[in-house]
Order: sequence, then C-alpha cells, then structure tokens
Amino acid sequence: MSALPRDGEVRVFAQYDRDFHEQADAVVVGSGPAGAVAAHELTRAGLRVVVVEEGPPFTPGDFELDGALSMARTLREGGLRTTRGTVMPTMQAICLGGGSLVNSAICVRAPDFVLDRWCEQFQLRATTRADLDPHYDAVGEFLGIAPTPEAVLGRRNLLFRRGCEKLGYASEPIQRNVRGCRGSGECFTGCRSRAKQSMDISYLPAAMRGGARVLSSARVERLLGDGERATGVAGRIVAPFSGRPGPRFRVTAPRVVLAAGCMATPILLHKSGNLANRSGQVGENLQFHPGVAAMGVFEERVDPAFGATQGFQSLEFLPEGFKLETLWAPPAILSVRMPGSGAALKERLARIPNSAVWDAIASCNRSLGRVRPRRGSLDPQLVWHLHPDDVPILAQALYTLCEIFFAAGAHTVLPGVHGIADEIHRLEDAEVLRAGGLRGSHLVLGGNHAFCSTRMHGDPARGVVDELGRSHDVRGLWIVDTGIFPQCPSVNPMWTAMALAHRAAPAIAAG
Amino acid sequence: MLGLLVLMGLLVAVALRVFAGHPRAGARYRHLSRHEVAFLHAAGDATFPRGGAIPASGSDADVPGYADRWLGASTPRIRVMMRLLFFLVEHATLFAPAPGWGGWRRFTSLSPEQRIAVLDGWRSSRHFPRRFVFTCLRAVLTMGYFAHPPVMRQLGLAPLAIDTPVCEADLLYPPVGRPLAAIRYTAADLTPPSDGTPVDLAGPLHPAWVERAS
Repeated sequence: MSALPRDGEVRVFAQYDRDFHEQADAVVVGSGPAGAVAAHELTRAGLRVVVVEEGPPFTPGDFELDGALSMARTLREGGLRTTRGTVMPTMQAICLGGGSLVNSAICVRAPDFVLDRWCEQFQLRATTRADLDPHYDAVGEFLGIAPTPEAVLGRRNLLFRRGCEKLGYASEPIQRNVRGCRGSGECFTGCRSRAKQSMDISYLPAAMRGGARVLSSARVERLLGDGERATGVAGRIVAPFSGRPGPRFRVTAPRVVLAAGCMATPILLHKSGNLANRSGQVGENLQFHPGVAAMGVFEERVDPAFGATQGFQSLEFLPEGFKLETLWAPPAILSVRMPGSGAALKERLARIPNSAVWDAIASCNRSLGRVRPRRGSLDPQLVWHLHPDDVPILAQALYTLCEIFFAAGAHTVLPGVHGIADEIHRLEDAEVLRAGGLRGSHLVLGGNHAFCSTRMHGDPARGVVDELGRSHDVRGLWIVDTGIFPQCPSVNPMWTAMALAHRAAPAIAAG
Repeated sequence: MLGLLVLMGLLVAVALRVFAGHPRAGARYRHLSRHEVAFLHAAGDATFPRGGAIPASGSDADVPGYADRWLGASTPRIRVMMRLLFFLVEHATLFAPAPGWGGWRRFTSLSPEQRIAVLDGWRSSRHFPRRFVFTCLRAVLTMGYFAHPPVMRQLGLAPLAIDTPVCEADLLYPPVGRPLAAIRYTAADLTPPSDGTPVDLAGPLHPAWVERAS
C-alpha cells in the first residue's frame, strides 16, 4: 500500500512501508492547537496542505486512565522531562492534536496590559486587543468556547468560588473549548465523553474535510532549503511509543509552517543548520508559567474527582503576577507530594475525598532559560533559572490560595513547601510564606506552558519572526506556536496561540 | 600484596551487597531485576504498610508489577534513569546510614522503622537534589499504589463507566498501532454528542475497577 494519504485522509504507522515524497502548497509541522488552526485556515484558503505529526492519533480506547501510563504514552520523554538550572518538571505532548488532547481546555484571552506591553516593548504594531479580538472570536465560535456550566462545576470548583466571594476576590467559571462536559474530571488523560474539543476531533477533521492530508507518526528531523528559502521538511517515520525509526520521508512545499511547540521548533531550526537565526534568538528567552499548588481538607465530602478538571479561576491578581485556578488530576499524581510515610501518609490519603487542590500560575518575566539540542537526540535540553525576585510572587500566590481555602471552610491546608509545616490549620501560620525567607528550591514547581524561544519582534536583530509569524531571515518559513510569544501572556496560552495562527493564515496563504 | 587482598575483599563486599541475598523475583516481571523487585517491595511497604485507613499495603498493590509495566512503556533513557534511582536509594545508606544498629546496610535489609526513617530523611533533606530523588521515587510508588483498583474503590475515586459517543473523528483514526482498516465505525454508527448530563457518582464503575468475585 502506498504511504501517501489521499486528500482528506490520515496516515498511521501501520501504513508506511517505504520511503516516500509528498508535495503540497503548505506543510504544517505539528498538529497541536496552533498547527491545527493554521492547517484548517490554509485549506479554507484553497491550499493543498500536509500536516506532519510525530505522535499517533488516539481513540477513546487508547486512553489510559492511569496517570503515569497515560503520561508515558501521550507525553514526550514519558512525561518526565525536567528543566536544568532550576529543576522543574515540564511537559510536551506527542499525539495527534498535541497538548489539546491532554490539557484541561482552558481558554483565556491575553489581558490588555499584556498585549500593550508586547506592542510597546517588542515593536509590534498590530497585536493590540482590537487586532486580535476578531481572531479570538473566530476560534471561539468554531470550538464552542464558553464558561464552564454550573451543573458540572462540582464541589471542588464551587468551594473555590465560595472562598473568593467571602474575601471579595473576583472569580469566574473558566471558559473552555468543551461541548457537553459531563464533569468526569478526566481532561488530563483524554476525554472519554468526547466533549473536549481537542484538535484531533475539531480542527483537524475540519481540515481533512477541506482536503488536508495528515501524516501521523512522522518525525520531522530537518527543514529543506538553501538557507535563504524553506522548501519543505524531511524526517523519519517512528513507531508509536517506542520511537523505533521506519521509512524516511520528505514533504516539499513553498510554505513551511512550524507549529512543533516552543521546545521543539528551536531544535528543528538548530538541526537545520542554525536556520533563521541571524538574530541569535532561536532557543533563547525561554519562559514558563511556573506553577505551585496547595491542597485543602474540608469537613464535608468534596468528591474532588467530579467536576470540570479546571472549572473556576480568579484573575484578580494578574497585575501582581499570578493567576489562581482549581485543579484535579489522578490521585496518584496528586499524592506524590503528600508529606509523610507509612500510617501517617495513609491517613492523609484517606482524606482525599474531602480535599480540593487549587493552583497558581505565575508570570515570571525575569526567569529566563534556553532550549538547545541534546546530543544525538531531537529532545531538547532545557536550562531555566527561577529569578530570586520572582520567588515572592509564587510565595504570595501560595499564601492567597491558603487564604481562599480557609475562607471556603478548609480546616487544614497542605502548602507543599519545604521548610514550613506540612499542614497548617490557621491562616496566621501561612504568614511564613510572606516572610521573605523562601528560596526557589523550597517550592514544588510545575513548568506550565512554555514560550518565547522563537520570539516575535519588530526588529529583525532582536527576534526570529515578525508579528505574523514570518521568519525575518528565511523566505517561505513561518512559526505559529507559543515560541513566538514575546513574553509570557500571564494566562493560559492556548487561545492566544490559536488566535495568532488564525491571524497568520491569510499571510501564509498569500505566500 | 596486602593492598591487593584488601581491594579484593572490598570488591567481594560490594558484590555481595549489590547482588546477593535478594529473594527470587518471579517470572512475571519482564523488566525488573530481582534486586529491583525486592527494593520496590521494601520501599512500597515502608510507604504504604498494611492496615490503617486504607488496608492494602504496597506489596498488596503490587507496586513492583506496576513499575515493571511502567518501565516497559518507557523509553530506554527513562528506564536507565529509573534503574539508577532504585539503585541509589537502595545503596545510599552506605553514605547516609539509617538510625539504629546496622543502619549502613542496604535499604532492603533494614528494619521497617529504619526504612521509614531513611525515606523521611530523603524527603526532608535540606539538600534539594535529595528531596528531588525522593519525589521521583515517591512518584513510582504512589502511581503503583493507586493503580490497584481496591485502593481507588476504597477512596470512592475509581473511574466511572462512561458512554463514549461516536463522533466524526472515530471514522478517521484507528486504534494506536493498527491500520486504517481497523477503524470499526462507519457513518451509520455516529451517535449524538454528549448532552452535558453530569456523570452519576453512584453509577457503575469502569469495568477495570469493578470488584471481582474471588
């Protein structure tokens, strides 16, 4: 059987039996939110599009409800990727649909102050609220982005609302790309209700209806071209999960759109002869939204597994540098950071049904890193340092979570910070978080969202792409993933990445 | 000559410490060595002893069996890292002994109380790398423990049976690793999408978590 998919078809690992060469008007590398939107919009513009994705498509029967096995199958490096410098776990999906398959579907527009700052500091002229809102709207309408319905909030989310209301903090149900959520709390392991509009069941089928061809289990290893113009991509077919290499492939196209993610796109450029890097900014400026979480224990039963995985948030503290949200994950993952061993640990585990977990993500614009190729691998080596001046932001975020927990009625809070009590029972005991003695290594961090490794900048000497994602150096090359963000957006980035891709598509189509 | 004898004696001692005296692992472990199985039993039971708020112990939950499956699902690099992790904690008592008599023995040879003390030492260390190692080990142990259906049932957190609608995407993709011909749905199989009815917490469990008659 030929390895070439027909128009509107996906090819899977079992179909590849020989080396092959595809031609298209545009090749999109990566099928996550930005790549899927770009592919759909390019097919709507009448282009012949090939989407190349290293991971396989997942059916509901492929979802693993077990946290670790799910991560081992859907995330690169088995979900065990960490940064160096400040050691922090971080994730990147490897599946059709990218991170949208295993994220909690949070959609938030970048705040005005963020867009204003981007425009001012990075010489961007057309990335204002007014410029981007039509693109947010278009994506929102396509995906049915809407606030989480009350019926599926569950106690875990409602308690957060109660705590915020008591303290006078603004809070709101999170807008998500979900239709018909049943509150199963399984966003991170794949939505068995098919309610989450992940890219594999939304934008990609639409792109395929428009004629897009999808090569799954196809790992792009380098870009083709002469250094001045990109003309396609080349790589190997890889077996799902094992990565065992198979036939080679090439896709030639006059438009190459990189949407491989903030941690993979710079690697591709480095491996392609340090392409598009006259500015020296490829792989630099890496930022995250480092996150912290706390668990509160209540007298009442919370049934934390029920309800939207992340259904409520507070944007009250964005100006102070952090965003608060509710959280649920498989108990095995939540329990990793529980203190104690033996009988004491078991007592704590037994309280999970009466517990809620809430988290904060922080804007740490001073905390920077870089992405570099790892020798003999396409996996990145990530070096990132939490700036000491950003530690108080995270500490204040944790304190505020404690405040909301106690206001909501929790009798115990587990802040998960080294050097302070494992459990606190009064808000006064959380004051130590604000006392100024904490270091980054005292916190248990999670590297949520990654940005800026191929940042946009109006000045070609200081950025990799312009504000439409077009390479400053290489004709025919666009980048549309979160790597083009000039700084962290302070909120969950998926909707902004999709809006930017939606905006870039007409320019890409025009060539 | 004396130096050579001392060196050989040391080598023998190291070999005995690393390789000797572990119980047979059993044939069902495809990836773990018997040393690793013994270590995971010891660490699992120290972390989750039998009885108490959740009756099952780490061994009851077959933590080593889970780790064996996890290793099998992991990349070679991750496998090496996990093996090094087990080895490190098993033998770090040489340099950071457990309290009490014979605290320098390998982890699996310590008493249950000493094992807990060793794990708490890793967890509360003032050195971040030690705490990080503990977190990695804890991750393996808790993942394995919670993969045991009775534990999740005990907590009332076992996944529920959910009717999965058949959507357009199900006509496009086969199960992972299968050819397109393995797609088992046609347009005639499409069902209405989820209507947003909240899951019934008192409803039936996912088949893999249902209690089976012994």
